[in-house]
Amino acid sequence: MKTNLEEINRNIYDIKNKDDYDFKIKKGLNKEIIEEISKQKNDPDWMKQIRLNALEVYNSLELPTWGPDLSELDMSEIATYVRPKTKLNSSWEDVPEEIKDTFDKLGIPDAEKTSLSGVGAQYDSEVVYHSIKEDLIKQGVIYTDMETAVREYPDMVRKHFMKCVPVNDHKFVALHAAVWSGGSFVYVPKGVKVDIPLQSYFRLNSPESGQFEHTLIIVDEGASLHFIEGCSAPKYNKVNLHAGCVELYVKDNAYLRYSTIENWSKNMLNLNTKKAIVGKNAGMDWVSGSFGSKISMLYPMSILNGEGSKTEFTGISFAGAGQNLDNGFKVIHNAKNTSSVVNAKSISKNGGKCTYRSLVRVAENAQNSKCSVSCESLMLDDISISDTIPTADVRTEEVEFSHEAKIGKISDKAIFYLMSRGLSEADAKAMIVRGFASPVSNALPMEYAVEMNNLINLELEGTIG
Amino acid sequence: MKNTLIEIKDLCVNAEDKEILKGINLKINKGEIHVIMGPNGSGKSTTANAILNHPAYKKVAGEILFEGENINDLKTDEIARKGIFMSFQLPEEIPGVSVTNFLKYAKNKITGEPVKIFKFKEEVKKYMDELNMNSKNMERSLNVGFSGGEKKKNEILQMLVLNPKLAILDETDSGLDVDAIRTVSKGIEMFKNENNAVLIITHNTKILSSLKVDYVHILVNGKIVKTGNGELAKEIEENGYSKYKN
Amino acid sequence: MIKLNETPVRTARNFNINNIKLDNIEIRRRLKPFQSAEVFLESSKDVALREIYDIVLEYGICDLLTEQASNYELTVNINSKMKNTVMVDFKFDEENDYLVDKIFIDAKPDTKSNVIIKYTSKDDLEYFHNGDIKLRAGENSEVNITFVNLLNTKSNNFIAIENEILDGAKVNSYMIDFGGKYSISNYYSNIIGKNANNNLSTIYLGKENQVFDLNYIAELYGEKSSVNFEVQGALKDSSKKHFKGTIDFKRGAKKAKGNENEACMLLSDKARSLALPMLLCSEEDVEGNHSTSSGKIGDKELFYIMSRGFDEKSAMKLMVRAKFNKILESIKNDELKNEIIYEIDKRLD
Repeated sequence: MKTNLEEINRNIYDIKNKDDYDFKIKKGLNKEIIEEISKQKNDPDWMKQIRLNALEVYNSLELPTWGPDLSELDMSEIATYVRPKTKLNSSWEDVPEEIKDTFDKLGIPDAEKTSLSGVGAQYDSEVVYHSIKEDLIKQGVIYTDMETAVREYPDMVRKHFMKCVPVNDHKFVALHAAVWSGGSFVYVPKGVKVDIPLQSYFRLNSPESGQFEHTLIIVDEGASLHFIEGCSAPKYNKVNLHAGCVELYVKDNAYLRYSTIENWSKNMLNLNTKKAIVGKNAGMDWVSGSFGSKISMLYPMSILNGEGSKTEFTGISFAGAGQNLDNGFKVIHNAKNTSSVVNAKSISKNGGKCTYRSLVRVAENAQNSKCSVSCESLMLDDISISDTIPTADVRTEEVEFSHEAKIGKISDKAIFYLMSRGLSEADAKAMIVRGFASPVSNALPMEYAVEMNNLINLELEGTIG
Repeated sequence: MKNTLIEIKDLCVNAEDKEILKGINLKINKGEIHVIMGPNGSGKSTTANAILNHPAYKKVAGEILFEGENINDLKTDEIARKGIFMSFQLPEEIPGVSVTNFLKYAKNKITGEPVKIFKFKEEVKKYMDELNMNSKNMERSLNVGFSGGEKKKNEILQMLVLNPKLAILDETDSGLDVDAIRTVSKGIEMFKNENNAVLIITHNTKILSSLKVDYVHILVNGKIVKTGNGELAKEIEENGYSKYKN
Repeated sequence: MIKLNETPVRTARNFNINNIKLDNIEIRRRLKPFQSAEVFLESSKDVALREIYDIVLEYGICDLLTEQASNYELTVNINSKMKNTVMVDFKFDEENDYLVDKIFIDAKPDTKSNVIIKYTSKDDLEYFHNGDIKLRAGENSEVNITFVNLLNTKSNNFIAIENEILDGAKVNSYMIDFGGKYSISNYYSNIIGKNANNNLSTIYLGKENQVFDLNYIAELYGEKSSVNFEVQGALKDSSKKHFKGTIDFKRGAKKAKGNENEACMLLSDKARSLALPMLLCSEEDVEGNHSTSSGKIGDKELFYIMSRGFDEKSAMKLMVRAKFNKILESIKNDELKNEIIYEIDKRLD
């Protein structure tokens, strides 16, 4: 792990651009609004029907009866569609100055040059930039925004859209399906290995609005991909809502790694849904760093449908003052010889609350499967909260399932040991925390590991020592 | 008094309101090797921890002067930066922090200067070879899953890399086999010069056989009851502490 | 339909573990006295018995059950350090087929006691048991208490146990949970005192269509208090187990420790194990651990034992016994221990 201690500034995430848009739908949610979004987006009829049907499902579903309190969310105060003043561009030069400037400061164009083979950048409801390296196009890799995909690859989209995550999964999935806009579509053809990651970055600038991007990735048989998702927003006084949806199809013998660094501002309700269907002998790895949001309810899910499929989840949540991060992982073992490994960590400070909530289900037909879960929670003071709520549902005898969890504070002995080597108390604590988070930073490409460590240092600043 | 490195005067220390040290006096000059011996519970480790100002040990009287400056109330890291190193009896495990990064970081903190990576790595490699350490350990998390011997060697490695003025070795030889003890002695020899000093805390005389010890102090029940030269250690080896109790 | 055994914190509804829903539970209002209960007491010097009960449970399985009128009431006052055991023995039979018992055990400060509460049925009729047991462990007292459920697999068994543990007190609880078509147990420990300590060791054994729903909750308030849940079980046929274990570190419980270990052996392809081991923490300076596991008996172990001449069934029994052994060994009453071992053998046949 790179112990980079350069000062970084929260300001880069907090740049507020003027709420200057081409089109912003009026606040609220009803049939007229959905029809208007559909019209603005030039939906084909089948997509419009999905939206209208989803609205009905949304109205019929209750808010969750568990987890964080969502009563402050008032959909009549949220604008679900905000179109920025630009078209989709394939060159940064064409992106309007102010928007480009934001992404510059977030380091996206730089990363594109050095360590990515494709980039998508979404600003409010629409993708403003998309590009992919020439050689990948030659190999048949598709990486584009969702709207283009709906237009140009309707069969593929129709076959997979809201099929991995059903519209009635929960209330916010239905909301997403009704108002979705933006996001990325990736198709990696059979046998193609994409060695350098693709990244989509989502930026929400407009106050009292929501972002509902849809990410659909199909990694065909024997292919492989690393996809990185980043998100941030400046802080406003009223709540913003993020209800994205990620659908991942990892076909037989394929491999997908999906990494997320989430750093939404602390007025964001992050109610995101991510699922992957994993084929025979395929692998699906999730890497997740959750730092931002006021409330987060995020439980990526791997459905191991193929024999011999594998999944790993490596994640960390870091909750500070006013944050309630209810995160975790779900896995369904649905075939023989499947395996899952979960390594979840959380850090709570300044009255923040972290909850690890999870489900492991080993179905009747998943003989000879293995699952091992490890959860560790670190409390940095005595006003914070850390809960672990894991469910295990084992329905066959031919299984090895184990779950371990630990909760506690940074050991005083370890602090003394490091101080005896010349580290100040604050440095010692920061080093222990970075070490604690290292399974996640080690699983990220270097630049992102550095960014994550910077976020950790930023979060720790002024709170310990 | 230019040559005096550390001077401890009438030091009384309590741990959890229990009197442990009851007036210790000790002076260590540059170029010297001192040994503190004593039965279990006599206050040996307390002496080491008190010098580093461990928060659980309260100094109720006396003072500790390091190069003439009172360091009683300095924070542990400030004391370390003054040039005092302690090898721990039970080194802590720090998951996720590799030995290399830790050493680099600590070296930077101690010297206050940027660390030149290549030169640094070479230096570390050299010490590791001398200490018969597996260089693969460099990328492992600090002390995590290390055997007892590996942990102790790692402490000696840190001593060599950080190059303090005063090295305190708290039971560094305990629980080690003969070969490992020899390696530890070798490390001390490599470290030692006329400008620094070593304070060895032990109840084992094996480690002393290959070192030129200047003073041996017998600590019983929180007081130094006798000071002598290397011969005193041999006497203890033969007769134990019973003569000095009560 | 009634909902029972709600967990203190809810999780997603479709995980099906927040509560258990039962149909066809007959809650009778007017009960005739339960005659087939005996209290064994070797000496009345240390213990005073009274046939009253005026305690309200804080938690309970559900209001319907806690509010049900009782047909057996008992208060046991522990007044000194006793060497012998108090045993309350309930035997279900045709005449005594419906029991709602309420027992209060009041262990005065500095006392020591051993208590056994036992439920057995001698035939295969459908019985009903709903018990509320409250224990107050006074300062520096020590209570060893064993709950034995050896009912048949046709009956309904509901039991709610509550502890209040004061400064320096130690409560060692043992649960032998074998009987009941439904065996719904609720264990709530209010660990208020400084240095208060609670150990709970459970063994359960499921067969046929038995369903076990275990809802164990420990709230730690006292400094340096501690709790330890150790749950070992085996499931055969189509039996099911829901284990919900919550250790809740409340603010102020500095240096408190909580451990929870649950292991389930699955002896059949149709058995099902559902577990929700929760750690809730609002205090920094604590140590909390939990672990849970499920799976079948290791093939290697089984092979090893069979290579020593055991047939598969005896090997399996041996393995289950081995897992239960630590908890069985802590039962000091030999007669009771042998009875439990006999039941394990019989139920695994």
